[in-house]
Amino acid sequence: MIFVNKIFLIFLLTISSKIVAQNSLQDQFDFATNLFQQEKYFDAITEFKRLLFFDKQNQFEFKANYYIGLSYKNGGKFDEALRYFTLAEIKSTNKDEYFLAKSFQVRTNILRRTINQANKILNQLEDEETSNTKLNEIKYWRGWACIFADEWNKAGQIFSEDKLDTTLAKLCKSVNDEMYSVNFAKYSSFIIPGFGQFYTGEYVSGLISFGWNILFGYLTVNSFVDERIFDGIVIGNFLWLRFYIGNLQNAENFATQKNLLISNNALNYLQNNFNGLKP
Amino acid sequence: MIKKITLFIFLFTSLILSQQIDFNSPQNIKLFADFLFCNKDYLRAIDEYERYLKMCEDDSIQFKIAYGFLQMGNYQNAIEKFSAIKSNSNFYDAAGIEKLKVFFLANDTSSFISEADLLLQSNNPYNNNVLRFKNSVILFTKNLPAKDILLSPFTFEEKSIISDFYDWKKNPPYKSEQIAGILSTIIPGSGKIYTKNYSDGITAFILTGLFGYLAYSNFEHKHSFRAWVFTGLAAGFYAGNIYGSIASAQIFNARLNFEFDEGVKLFLENNNYFTPVYDFCK
Repeated sequence: MIFVNKIFLIFLLTISSKIVAQNSLQDQFDFATNLFQQEKYFDAITEFKRLLFFDKQNQFEFKANYYIGLSYKNGGKFDEALRYFTLAEIKSTNKDEYFLAKSFQVRTNILRRTINQANKILNQLEDEETSNTKLNEIKYWRGWACIFADEWNKAGQIFSEDKLDTTLAKLCKSVNDEMYSVNFAKYSSFIIPGFGQFYTGEYVSGLISFGWNILFGYLTVNSFVDERIFDGIVIGNFLWLRFYIGNLQNAENFATQKNLLISNNALNYLQNNFNGLKP
Repeated sequence: MIKKITLFIFLFTSLILSQQIDFNSPQNIKLFADFLFCNKDYLRAIDEYERYLKMCEDDSIQFKIAYGFLQMGNYQNAIEKFSAIKSNSNFYDAAGIEKLKVFFLANDTSSFISEADLLLQSNNPYNNNVLRFKNSVILFTKNLPAKDILLSPFTFEEKSIISDFYDWKKNPPYKSEQIAGILSTIIPGSGKIYTKNYSDGITAFILTGLFGYLAYSNFEHKHSFRAWVFTGLAAGFYAGNIYGSIASAQIFNARLNFEFDEGVKLFLENNNYFTPVYDFCK
């Protein structure tokens, strides 16, 4: 009976001491997580790195790398974030952890506008995944990748499929409708100088452009009609052509700038007013 | 008996494994800081080293902090920390030459020269390195010593490189602004060709010639308005060509200076600024 008690005592000692060791790392993890939650990212990274350094049995390898990645991402250090999300992916122990690390690689790539890389990872995930929830998530981030690539129409189509996200689908559609066609602005100005500027709402610029082209066009034609060939070439080449080409470039620039403004306003709205999941 | 031994071993190993990690012990702080330092996370490493120094005195850590600041490009703090290393420290001599590196990277040539002279007067074991570093930096200044004196501390391979730099500095292949201007006054565009700006030179020659001819031709045919317009254009291109040739010579010389500076900097970088190599991260 005494022998059995001794064994029990030893067993208790062993178990409790193991729990204490685990607690020590767990406490460090909790401490680092707490810093992360308080948005003290620099300190959180230090403490997670400390945890990684002392975690000889690699119990927290995935979590620590994942949180370091998150901290860097939230601090706007996307290159470092990607490095740690990749480490988290390597250290992942199950499919869920693997997917989480990968999806954050996608989100970071979207934020730093390396859209090709984001799409490459999404394609890889799509090939590997079978679960519907995860496939929907992949589709969702593909939509966001399109938004950041300025492909609002394509993004809208993705969000509309299977009613993935109706709010985003509506927003993408409205942004796409609001956008100006750069090609239309440019080529319409080919036919009627100043038309592209009118199309983008720059009426004064359109009128001025139209006026200059009419004036120099008239002077050029007039010179040729009067058989003043040299004057015609000089005015046509140095004045009319210069204003004609300027009018095309102007129309193209206005459309591009307006689109950029619309796109930035939409992104700003998404950042501040959209309550769903964002990259 | 076997059961008891087994239990003892089990208990003993588990007790060793179970020791609570004291993350804040000086030893562990130092270990972690070294890990960060070797992973080039200098900012965090410095924070940890500073925590460690509050508990223990260690000149190697002071040196590492200064070195970390230097690696981060925080030159002011690097100088402060290197200067704080005491003369009885093993790192005192290395700190001296590292300070030179900081002054050089911070473009503080006058402090560099005075610090180098101070070091050369002392018994610094790195004096040969200091001299090589100083003589390389002297190439950036206007007052060059005799070639033999400048080359003397360098190795055979280094001598040929430094000798080329020296010759370049003594007789730089500059293009004269005056000659460029005069050439363009005589033949439009020739000043630009002299400064190896061939396309601009040919363009200036053709345009000035064309407008000059058009002005002449229009005067001859009594189209006085057009003739004056072309005269104005020709005069503008002619004056612009002279001004442009002088500017072209200035740009040519500035590019040469830039290439020379970059060459010397690359030479220093390839030689690690003649500073010692440390084995902090074996």
